[in-house]
Amino acid sequence: MYVVRPVEIADIAALEALAAVTMPGVHTLPKTREKIAASVERSIASFAAHVDIPSEESYLFVLESLLDKSIAGTAAIFASAGSNGTYFSFRNDVIQQVSRDLNISHSVHALTLCSELTAYSQLSGFYVRNMEQAGLEAALLSRARLLFAVLAPHRFGDRFFVPLAGITDANGQSPFWDALGRKFFQMDFLDAEKVIGGARNRTLIVELMPHYPVYVPLLPGDAQAAMGQIHPSGELAFNLLTEEGFEADDYIDIFDGGPILQAHKHALRSFTGSLTRRVVAGVTPSRTGLKVHYAIASGAERNFRAVTFTCDALEAQDTVGLPPELLEALAVAEGDSVICVRI
Amino acid sequence: MLVVRAINASDLDALYGLASQVGTGMTTLKPDMKMLGDRLAIACASFAETIAPEKRDYMFVMEDTETGRLAGVCAIKGAVGLEEPFYNYRIGTLVHSSRELDVFTRMETLYLSNDLTGSTELCSLFLHPDYRSGNNGKLLSKSRFLFIAQFPHLFTEKLIAEMRGYQAPDGSSPFYEGLGRHFFKMDFHHVDDLTSLGKKSFIAELMPRQPMYVAYLPDEAQEVIGKVHLSTAPARRLLEQEGLHFEGYVDIFDAGPVLQARVSELRAMRDSMPAVLDAGAAPEACGDAAQAEPYLVSNTDLKDFRMIVTSANPHSGKLALDDDELHLLRCHQGDTVRTLSLNPRKHPHV
Repeated sequence: MYVVRPVEIADIAALEALAAVTMPGVHTLPKTREKIAASVERSIASFAAHVDIPSEESYLFVLESLLDKSIAGTAAIFASAGSNGTYFSFRNDVIQQVSRDLNISHSVHALTLCSELTAYSQLSGFYVRNMEQAGLEAALLSRARLLFAVLAPHRFGDRFFVPLAGITDANGQSPFWDALGRKFFQMDFLDAEKVIGGARNRTLIVELMPHYPVYVPLLPGDAQAAMGQIHPSGELAFNLLTEEGFEADDYIDIFDGGPILQAHKHALRSFTGSLTRRVVAGVTPSRTGLKVHYAIASGAERNFRAVTFTCDALEAQDTVGLPPELLEALAVAEGDSVICVRI
Repeated sequence: MLVVRAINASDLDALYGLASQVGTGMTTLKPDMKMLGDRLAIACASFAETIAPEKRDYMFVMEDTETGRLAGVCAIKGAVGLEEPFYNYRIGTLVHSSRELDVFTRMETLYLSNDLTGSTELCSLFLHPDYRSGNNGKLLSKSRFLFIAQFPHLFTEKLIAEMRGYQAPDGSSPFYEGLGRHFFKMDFHHVDDLTSLGKKSFIAELMPRQPMYVAYLPDEAQEVIGKVHLSTAPARRLLEQEGLHFEGYVDIFDAGPVLQARVSELRAMRDSMPAVLDAGAAPEACGDAAQAEPYLVSNTDLKDFRMIVTSANPHSGKLALDDDELHLLRCHQGDTVRTLSLNPRKHPHV
């Protein structure tokens, strides 16, 4: 059993241990104790902040085992991408080329540097220990961020996106970067990610990246093949997010060409499919025998909690009966409201 | 003997014969009777001054007077791009720099432009392989400068010449394969044919309108930007001697260079001189035969412009020609001709 909750100061050591494991394809997690502490403090301040308009808040969640209180994963959500500037991405454009004289019509795929994702809310930093064996708890962790947004819509935009790491080889080289970014930055992919700290909102991007469309047919084959492709480590996240309702075709990352999934909140199951139910203490005996997996969340700000629970379908009832350990994990009592969404 | 002269209506069949020898890569000279006939009609109207200067197309042929055969052709178009757009890539520079990262990247870019619209164009130079010897190539190419020097008022200040771009031994254009093919989806020679037929609207319809970074192109394509076809290298040198130079414009298909000059800065404008024909001025008669050097000599008649190359030493505004040469130029003693040394002087100001 797991619970997802806002990060606390006491988690710093555990996060450091998590970050120490080499994670191919994950370039964005802070690695040093200083940086980890900074992101934890920023998250705590964000949960505590009174928000009128989503801005620089960055919410960090941890996945905690109820058995041994160990931290098994982290996930983050930024209230407003590029809040210190502009969030840059490449937009996939299709340019229609038609010549009536020659009776030719074809389309050319071009990438355009754009800032359209600015002010979207951004999911990031999704990481689960033992990714291969992960089960429901991974889905819970990924979805908990959105459930928090369902409970506190004023803290987020109407649109969400998630950049996923693109393809890199065993040496950390990215074919997409080599064909594009390298020509402007004159450095290796990982070096560039390091100096920029995974950010996509820095002035130096405007200074260095091409402002004119990049015509895809002109890129080398391996770079074209890497466009929109995820690093194998991102497969779990990709599957969870597409099930949630995110779409992958419109934008790619300006550095490694990885896909950027995006959606309006009305297209996301956490928003459209979540049910508000009153808590009753004690598990209601199953009437149908048809068990459904739910993510259940409750609580405002730093009291936000999310757990998984398996029970009868909740559509036809207005209460949900929870066992004592989940009542405790969610910090709710009989009569409180929770939101429930099918995993 | 060889004479370069204004083309006339009776040259059509011989011109077709010449055009058949050209091969690919010259968009303005294709073996197409209708096209050549139309062009010839414009050329005749140009020398007759019955059409506006910007519509004129002065064609010259080199005739072997012993056989009556045409040995070569060349032309000056009064102005390009006024009836259908004239496209080039301008090679530009964009600097991408970040102080924060201490990165300074200088990128070459290709901008699709119509910058050369309205320029006078030297074009359609072709010398039959049988005549590629001695001073023939120079006579043919440089004859146009003498014409411009004689009639500068007919031309705009900007003069250009498009040079055939580099081609691989198999006739393909590495630049086209790296760029144009992606947008036109057809063979280089097909595109070439279309442009020669004046069907240029597809360029605007199919070519990217935004600047292109040269660094995106494959190395083979990057390397040939501004490079001429191997067989065009001598022609390029001749034009450069006359004051044209590469200023960063290239052909959009094969990236061949455009050479440019201001008419007023041409060597022919500076150095060509009028001279009165006078048998008494023969070098032998003056005792300085050793000083004689090859000279271009032309008459001054627009309608029947004629030019030869001869060994001469004009001085004091006088020049001696023998009877054959007078006949080639349709001149008589006492007429005024224009002269220009065939080769640039090593020390022009001495």
